[in-house]
Amino acid sequence: MASSEPESLTPTALRKDGPDHFVIEWGDGHHSVYTWRHLRANCPCASCREEKEQPANPLRVLKPGELLAPTAVSMPRVGRYAYKIAWNDGHDTGIYTLQYLRSLCQCPQCLEKADHATPRSAVTEV
Amino acid sequence: MQPPGPPSQKFELPNIQYLVAVASGKGGVGKSTVAANLALALVKKGKRVGLMDADIYGPSIPIMLGIGDVDPQTTTFPIERHGLKAMSMGFLLGPDKAAVMRGPMVQKYLLGFLTQVDWGQLDYLLVDMPPGTGDAQLALAQTAPVAGVVVVTTPQDVSLNVARRGVQMFRQVQVPVLGVVENMSFFIGEDGKRYEIFRHGGGRKLAEESDVPFLGEIPIDPRVAECGDQGEPVVHRYPDSDVAKAYLALAETVDQQLRHGTQPKELPEVQL
Repeated sequence: MASSEPESLTPTALRKDGPDHFVIEWGDGHHSVYTWRHLRANCPCASCREEKEQPANPLRVLKPGELLAPTAVSMPRVGRYAYKIAWNDGHDTGIYTLQYLRSLCQCPQCLEKADHATPRSAVTEV
Repeated sequence: MQPPGPPSQKFELPNIQYLVAVASGKGGVGKSTVAANLALALVKKGKRVGLMDADIYGPSIPIMLGIGDVDPQTTTFPIERHGLKAMSMGFLLGPDKAAVMRGPMVQKYLLGFLTQVDWGQLDYLLVDMPPGTGDAQLALAQTAPVAGVVVVTTPQDVSLNVARRGVQMFRQVQVPVLGVVENMSFFIGEDGKRYEIFRHGGGRKLAEESDVPFLGEIPIDPRVAECGDQGEPVVHRYPDSDVAKAYLALAETVDQQLRHGTQPKELPEVQL
C-alpha cells in the first residue's frame, strides 16, 4: 500500500485553548498554536481568497458577523486530509488541509521562518 | 428513485469490509472492464462483492453485466447478477436518457448509492470511478471510508501522464493507492508471439515513480470486448483464458494487500 503522510502532517490531538486560541499536536512532536482570528483571516475557500485579492475598499460596510470575535462552532473532518471550519459568523466553506494548517502555525519557531504563503499543492476546493 | 439526501460529512459503512475504488485520470483505459472483471474474480475467490458504478454521466456497468432496462419504481436495488450486487445510474435513467446535471447532483447520487442502497454484508464494494480528478473523486475521498484505490492505465505515455495525476490526487487527499494495473498490456497472436501494441512497461514505470506496487498486466483479448457487450464479463465466460487468469491474480494481490496491509488511520476529532 502506498505510504501514508509523514508524521509532520499527522495530527494526534486538536483542541480549543481558551477563548481565542486553537492548538494542534502533530505526530512529529510539534505543538502548533493559532489564534482563531488568524485562521479565519486565512480561510482558503474560493470566495475568501477572491475577496483578499481585491483592492481594499475603504467604504466597505461591515457584515454583522464581522463584529464578533471569530471562533469555530464546529470542525468536522474532511476525509483523511483536512478539516472544515464552521465559524460563528456563519461562514463554513473553508477546507483546511493538514498541510495548510501546518503552514499557518503561529508558534514562535514557525513565525520566524514562515512566510505563510498558501502552499501550491494545498487542496482548497469547497 | 429521487435524488437522495446523503450525509455531507464523513460516514461509516459498517457492513462493508473494504471499499475499493477503481480509477484512472484518463477515460478509455478500461476502468469499467477492469472493475467488473476484478469484482467477478473476487466472487470466484468466495468473496461477497458489490460493484457500484460511479460514472453518473456515462454508466457502462448495466451493459457489461447484461442487466437490461429496469423499472426503477418496481426494482429493488442493488441488482444481483453473476454472483455480485450492482448499482448504477444506468438503472435509473434507462438506456436512452442522459444524466444532465452539475457536480453537486452527481455527489448526491454517488453518496446516495453508497449509503441508501441496501448492500447487505459485503467483503468488497468496488467503485467504478469516472475519469478525472473532480467531483466524484473528491466526494468519495471526503466522505467515504475508502480502503484503497486501484489505478488503471494503458501502457502509452498519453495515458500514463493522466494516470500520474490521478495517483497524485488520491495521495493528496490521503486515500491509499493500492497500486497500478496496466490494461491492454500485450497481445499474444495466433503465431504465439507477443505483440506490444500500445508499447509496454508504462504501468510498471508509473508504479515505480509513484512508489506504489505494480499490480500486474492485463493482456489484450478480443473476447473481452465481446463479453462486455454481451453482458457476461470474460472472467465469468472464459474462466480458463489467460486474461481471466490475470484478473484472478490481480484479485489475489489486492485481497492480500488489504488483508495484510496497514489500514489508513482516520483523523482525530477536534475538541471544541
